[in-house]
Amino acid sequence: MAVILQMKSITKEYKGVPVLKNVDFDLEEKEIHALVGENGAGKSTLTKILAGAVTPTRGEIILDGKSIKIDHPTDGVAHGIAMVFQETSLVPSLTVAQNLFLGKEKFYNRLRTIYIAAQQFLQSLNFSVNPSVTVARLGAAQKQMVEIARAVYYKARIIIFDEPTAPLTPEEKHHFFALLNRLRKAGVTIIFITHVLEEALQSADRITVLRDGEIVVTDNASNFTRDRIVQAMVGRQLSGGLYDVSAKGKQRRKAGRRVLSVQNLSMQNIVRNNSFSVFAGQITGIFGLVGSGRTETAKIIAGVVKRDLVHGGEVKFEGRSVRYKVPKPAVKDGIIYVTEDRKIEGFFETMSVARNIYIGAITAGLTKSFVVNMNEMHKLAEHWTKALNIKATDSNARVIELSGGNQQKVVIAKALVQRPKLIIFDEPTRGVDVGAITEIHQIINKLADDGLPIVVISSYLPEILYLSDRILVSRQGRIVEEFNAADATEDMIMYAAVH
Amino acid sequence: MIKIIDEYLGRGEFSITVPPLDGALIPNELLEETEKSLIVDAPDCLAIMNGIPVVSSRSKVLEVDNGGKEVARFDAEISCITGLPNGGLAVGLIDGRIAIVHGPHNGKIIRPNEGAKCPTALHADSGNNLFVTHGSSTNNYNGWKKDLMEKNSSGSLWRLEIATGKQTMICGGLAFPYGIYYDDKSFIVAESWRSRLLRIFLDGSKPPEEVLGHLPCYVSRMAPAQEDGIWLTAFAPRSQLVEFVLRERRYCRLMMENIDPDFWVCPTLRSNKSFREPLQAGGVKQLGIMKPWAPARSYGLVIRLDSNFQPVGSLHSRADGSRHGITSCIEHNGRLLMAVKGDGMVASYPIDRIKKR
Repeated sequence: MAVILQMKSITKEYKGVPVLKNVDFDLEEKEIHALVGENGAGKSTLTKILAGAVTPTRGEIILDGKSIKIDHPTDGVAHGIAMVFQETSLVPSLTVAQNLFLGKEKFYNRLRTIYIAAQQFLQSLNFSVNPSVTVARLGAAQKQMVEIARAVYYKARIIIFDEPTAPLTPEEKHHFFALLNRLRKAGVTIIFITHVLEEALQSADRITVLRDGEIVVTDNASNFTRDRIVQAMVGRQLSGGLYDVSAKGKQRRKAGRRVLSVQNLSMQNIVRNNSFSVFAGQITGIFGLVGSGRTETAKIIAGVVKRDLVHGGEVKFEGRSVRYKVPKPAVKDGIIYVTEDRKIEGFFETMSVARNIYIGAITAGLTKSFVVNMNEMHKLAEHWTKALNIKATDSNARVIELSGGNQQKVVIAKALVQRPKLIIFDEPTRGVDVGAITEIHQIINKLADDGLPIVVISSYLPEILYLSDRILVSRQGRIVEEFNAADATEDMIMYAAVH
Repeated sequence: MIKIIDEYLGRGEFSITVPPLDGALIPNELLEETEKSLIVDAPDCLAIMNGIPVVSSRSKVLEVDNGGKEVARFDAEISCITGLPNGGLAVGLIDGRIAIVHGPHNGKIIRPNEGAKCPTALHADSGNNLFVTHGSSTNNYNGWKKDLMEKNSSGSLWRLEIATGKQTMICGGLAFPYGIYYDDKSFIVAESWRSRLLRIFLDGSKPPEEVLGHLPCYVSRMAPAQEDGIWLTAFAPRSQLVEFVLRERRYCRLMMENIDPDFWVCPTLRSNKSFREPLQAGGVKQLGIMKPWAPARSYGLVIRLDSNFQPVGSLHSRADGSRHGITSCIEHNGRLLMAVKGDGMVASYPIDRIKKR
């Protein structure tokens, strides 16, 4: 196929530190090209340069044989290059239709007209999103759909997706890849960044692996195996498979005492009469599709959201009936919720690693002095960065400067500093590279080995199967099935989650 | 003030909920696979007498294996039995008497003390002492439904010296203690109405402490497992409906005054016998078939606990099952024998198969 785009000797430096080093990248017409690599490998920077969100320090971009300059996202759009970001760029207070036509409005706009146009357009893409709903009310998957629709609406020739499947359920992922194929047939070239190697292997025509700002290999997807990609990504062979359940064997941890009992918990139509228990010394995995009420249940337990005022059910923690209106008393009681959305709820991104960890201790009321004690703060940070192997220049480094995996470790450190008696991990490895996934899994396993009750909520079946000792399946706001992890299969879990 | 609002809104500690059957208690249908070792009317308590498993049925004690051969007969219904270390059998009768048959103390009768009229479980030690749990001080053994509906906690644990007949109360204020187990340090008592196991120290050095609580069922008798741990039986499930009725005191009182106990909204050893029972039709049946997940008033459940009294496994007979109301179990010759009082049989299941499953 003809090469439509070439990026030659692209270099990007921040304060003299190279993020991309002389990268040569080409894109063939009507191909699906997957970019994989560890966090910090330079995938996002490369694609942002292409979309005009980042300007390269050196290098050249050639489109259709002509050298072009993309200094601004509007330049990208003008050249038919659109990017769907990991963090959606939609305006939450506007409706779906308004977001869709944002920047392409006419002089006079009738809401009714744009709703009808948006409805027709969304239906043509097979997206079931109500165009008159404000984006703030949409789930992550639906926001993703609107982003994609917008890219298609702008008649992009090249669409770049940054981790498009992270917020999607397995069923939605299936639809998403079907859409990619339809777009390809319509003449669109796709670049997608992913951490899920199976997606790259199954859906891409070609795969490029980046490591430390350089392209390690580009080849046809059919020439890759999972191991070859991982080896190229990390530059070494990982011991055992990442989700190799057989390595863990049939032996799973036995349940200790019942620590948490959720009984008939209800919250509007999202959590419906939900009941389950969590036991000490065991990892309880909760699987479910988006909208199955897993996160909301966890948030009710941790006091982040409130259950129904009347007949909202009961949560018994260590034999005591608890009802938290805010998270602080839950934290003091030892219930820690590690959020799925670390960038919004997990940390203060412009604060240092040390301050973020110290905030955890302050919340739990575990600081020694009444005022902020810098010495104590740095000691704490030093201890936890070492214990969790957080890779930062020092504890004063801002969290925003860390890779996704290390950011997640900061969130975990912030949780562990609070001396938890129960930890709920919500999507603990979302947007985290393979190396950090292994480390985070080790941390979670060690906590369970130490006798703590752990809840892991994940949409990724291999992770649930690998980590959990018992698996609960959530559907339509309640736990509908329980499996012994040693006997469960992906099919069994998925069947329970869907039917 | 908050408590009053909570009570009005039915939230917090006033929520009407029951613990879920999950973890080691996840429902299965293993009890349906058990063999019928003996079909007998209302088998209640199992014991080993001189190496032979025996079961109490109404006023008789029968051998389990020998076609139900009669071992002893009494003038009152039997409420509990236990084998004595020196041979023979101690038998608790529904009127509160404790009788000894066979063995060195054959024919001995110990009359009940005031407030100890409802023997529910017996344990004999090597020092000729019997330990008896009395479920209630006001109701007899067959009046357990009334005791639950009255929300009584007048049960007690007693020590009886067989030789002298001397009786000493060890602990009172228990909510229908139904099972007893000695773990070399203290007594573990199954407190049925509070759905928990309680550790009671014989010397009274410490107050009773809960070793396993918050169970989704009404617990009954316990038996040692040959490997580490014990077996615990549960004779009925807890349900939200019953918990609700238990809170509604006036309704409870009127129900007890006006309605036959068989049709009360309360747990039972076997439900679905009559169309007049509460929970009918759509509540328990779908297309004419009993839903296994129906909120039935009866259930079959035997729980295996480890040495720390934490559940590690369980055998179930669900709402549509045929092994409901299990009041007692014992291990004998590689089998687990269970007195299925609700369905009138002694069922047995090989221990090896339980381990495999």
